[in-house]
Amino acid sequence: MSTSQHTLENQSARSVRADDARASVLDVNNLRVVFEGDMRTVTAVDGVSFSVGKGRTLAIVGESGSGKSVTSLAIMRLLPEHSARISGSVNFDGRQLLEETKSGMRSLRGNRLAMIFQEPMTSLNPSYTVGEQINEVILRHRQMSKKEATERAIAMLKLVRIPSPETRYHQYPHNLSGGMRQRVMIAMALACDPELLIADEPTTALDVTIQAQVLELMRELQQETGTAIILITHDLGVVAESCDDVIVMYAGQVVEQCSVEELFTFPQHPYTVGLLGSLPRLDEKREQLVAITGTVPDMANPPSGCRFQSRCPFRIEKCAEMPELIEVSAGHFSRCWRAPMQDLVP
Amino acid sequence: MTQTTTTPIIEARGLGRKFVVKRTVFGRPLASVGAVEDVTLRLMPGETLAIVGESGCGKSTLGRLLMRLIRPSAGEVFIDGQNVTNLSHAAMRKQRRHVQLIFQDPYASLNPRMTIAQTIAEPLMLHNIVPAGQRARRVAELLEMVGLRPEQASRYPHEFSGGQRQRVVIARALASEPKAIICDEAVSALDVSIQAQVLNLLKDLQKRLGLAFVFISHDLGVVKHIADRVAVMYLGNVVEMGTADEIFAVPRHPYTRALLSAIPVAAPPSHQRAKAARLRGDLPSPLSPPEGCRLHTRCPYVRPECKTVSMKLDVEPNGHANACAFWRELPAQDAAEVAREPRNPKLEELFAAFEAMAKRPAQTVTGG
Repeated sequence: MSTSQHTLENQSARSVRADDARASVLDVNNLRVVFEGDMRTVTAVDGVSFSVGKGRTLAIVGESGSGKSVTSLAIMRLLPEHSARISGSVNFDGRQLLEETKSGMRSLRGNRLAMIFQEPMTSLNPSYTVGEQINEVILRHRQMSKKEATERAIAMLKLVRIPSPETRYHQYPHNLSGGMRQRVMIAMALACDPELLIADEPTTALDVTIQAQVLELMRELQQETGTAIILITHDLGVVAESCDDVIVMYAGQVVEQCSVEELFTFPQHPYTVGLLGSLPRLDEKREQLVAITGTVPDMANPPSGCRFQSRCPFRIEKCAEMPELIEVSAGHFSRCWRAPMQDLVP
Repeated sequence: MTQTTTTPIIEARGLGRKFVVKRTVFGRPLASVGAVEDVTLRLMPGETLAIVGESGCGKSTLGRLLMRLIRPSAGEVFIDGQNVTNLSHAAMRKQRRHVQLIFQDPYASLNPRMTIAQTIAEPLMLHNIVPAGQRARRVAELLEMVGLRPEQASRYPHEFSGGQRQRVVIARALASEPKAIICDEAVSALDVSIQAQVLNLLKDLQKRLGLAFVFISHDLGVVKHIADRVAVMYLGNVVEMGTADEIFAVPRHPYTRALLSAIPVAAPPSHQRAKAARLRGDLPSPLSPPEGCRLHTRCPYVRPECKTVSMKLDVEPNGHANACAFWRELPAQDAAEVAREPRNPKLEELFAAFEAMAKRPAQTVTGG
C-alpha cells in the first residue's frame, strides 16, 4: 500500500468522524450472494438491505443457514471469489465495497472495518504471542515505530480489561482462557479505531458469566469510541440486552426489521413469533414450548412464494406469492401478507 | 416400566474423580485435577435432575461417572440398587441397558456408514431384546415414537437435519428400554425452534414411558423448562442442589445467583432487570483450585473467612443443599433482580394463536 493512499484514507476517516453523528456508516442495498456449485446453485442471501448508524448496534438474528454470516462475509469481501457471485451494493463511507480492488479492501479490513469471529482460538495464530498479533494490525495500517505499536498494543489490552497486560502481551493464545482470547480479538479489532465492527457470534463459545462480561465490555467500548457494530447472533437474549436495531433473517431474506424494543414487545412476523415462543424462559414454566414445526427449506430450490409458508400456522392461499418487506408501523418492517399481527389476535 | 418402589435409579455416594494431567518421564503422576469431588445425589424414577455449570465445572465427567463409563477414584455408584462401582466390563455392559447416554453432537454419535434402521436395531440385537424377525417392526415403532417416519429407516445420517439426527439418537437410546437417560448438552447444538421440538419430545417421552433424565446443560432457560431438581456445579463441587422452583425463585449460593443474573433475557430493553451479582474475572485453573471456598476469587460477596471455610454442603431436611457458609448473611436479592419479566398480554395472545393454529389438522409436515 502506498503512503499517499494511506494519508488519503486518514483524511477521509477524519471527515467522517466530523460528520453528523446520525449518519449511517454502512449502507447495504439489495445484497445477493449466490454460490454456484457443480451440482446445485444456492442463493444464500437474497436481496438484503439495511444500514447501520454511527454508534449504533444492529443485530442480525437467524437460525443456522439463514444467511446471516454470509451477509457479513460478503460485506467484508471474505467470500471465495470463484464460487460466490455477489450483487447489489455495499456503501461504506462513500466507497463501494463490492467494487473495491483487493488491495483497497486489504487497507480497509482491520483498519476501518473490523471483524470478530465466534471461536477465538481458531482466529488467533497459535505460534505468535498475542502482542505480536496485535502489533501486526497496527504496523500494517498505521505509520508507527515498533516501540509505539507495542505501547499501543498494551494500551489496547488494558482497554479490554485484561489484567497485567504487560505480561499477557508476551503470552501465546494457549496461555489464555476463552474469555481472555475473545478480549484479545476485540483488542485487535479495535486497535485501529474502526468505524464498523462486525461481530459474528462473538460470545457463543463462551460461558454465560464470561459472555455477560464480554457483552458489557463491548457496550462500554462502543460508548467510548462510537464504533458502529453489527452483531450476528442466534441468541435472542443477547439481542435484547445489547443491541439497538435488529433484522431477523430467514432462508436468506430479511423477514422483519425494527428496533429491539419493538421486536420484543410485539413482533410482526410469524417466524419471529415462533422464535420468541420457542425460547424457554426463566420466569415461567410451561408444559410445552411453542415449537415451530418442520425445518428450514432447502436453499438450492426454495419454495416459490413466502419461504416460511410450510412452517407457518397463519398461512393463507396468498402465501404462494412472495410478500414484500412492508412497513407495518413507523420503522417496523415485516415480510408477511398477514401483518400486522394485531389482526390475528382475537 | 415404572415401579412403585423407592429405589433410586442412580445413586452416587461421595463420588469423586481425579485425572492425572502431568507425569514424570517415568510415568509417575506429578499433577492431577479433581474433576469431580465428593458428589452425593439420587435420581428417582420419572424425575429430571439437571446438572448445570460452566465449562470445566465437571458436569460431563459427573454424567459419565453416573453411568460408570469411567471409574470413580472415590465413592460409589449404584444403578437400580446395585453397586456398580467395581463391576467388570462385561457385567457393566449389561447394566448399561438401563441407563443410556445422549451427546451434544448427534452427527458425531451416529455411524455415517450405518442406516438409521441398523443404528437403532443395534441395541436390540446386543441386548437381545426383540427376536430378529420382529426387529424391523420395533425400529419402525421407535421411529414413530420420536416423530420420524418409518419409511426413513433405510436412510443414512447425512440425509437428516440436526434436529432429526438428534431424534434418531433418542430412538436408539430408547431401544434398550432404559430407565434413565443421561442427556449431555443434548439440545445445545440445535437452533431454538428445533431445540423446542426436541425438548417437547423429551418431556412427552418421559410422561409416556416414565423415564428419568439426568439433564446436563449450561443453558439455564432450558433447565428451568425441563428439570424437577437442579444441581449447580462449580470447579468440581456441587454448590447448590434443590428443586428447580426453589433454585430459580430464591437462589441461595452466590454462584447460582450470578449464573442466573448473567443470562441474557429476551425481553424489551425497557423491561430489562438490573444486573447486580456479577462474577469477576475468569475461572481459576482447576489444577490449583483456590483454597477454602473455590468461588472466593470471583464472588461478589467475598469476605476474609471465605479463604479458609470448607465447601461442605449444608443439607436441609427438605433436601435443599447449599455450599455457601454465609448464605444467610448475604444481601437479599434486589427487588429489581427478582422481578419477573412482564410480558405484553397481547403478545401472549399471539403466542396462543400461533400454538392453536399450529395444532390444526396435520398438514404434510416434513422433517423436524
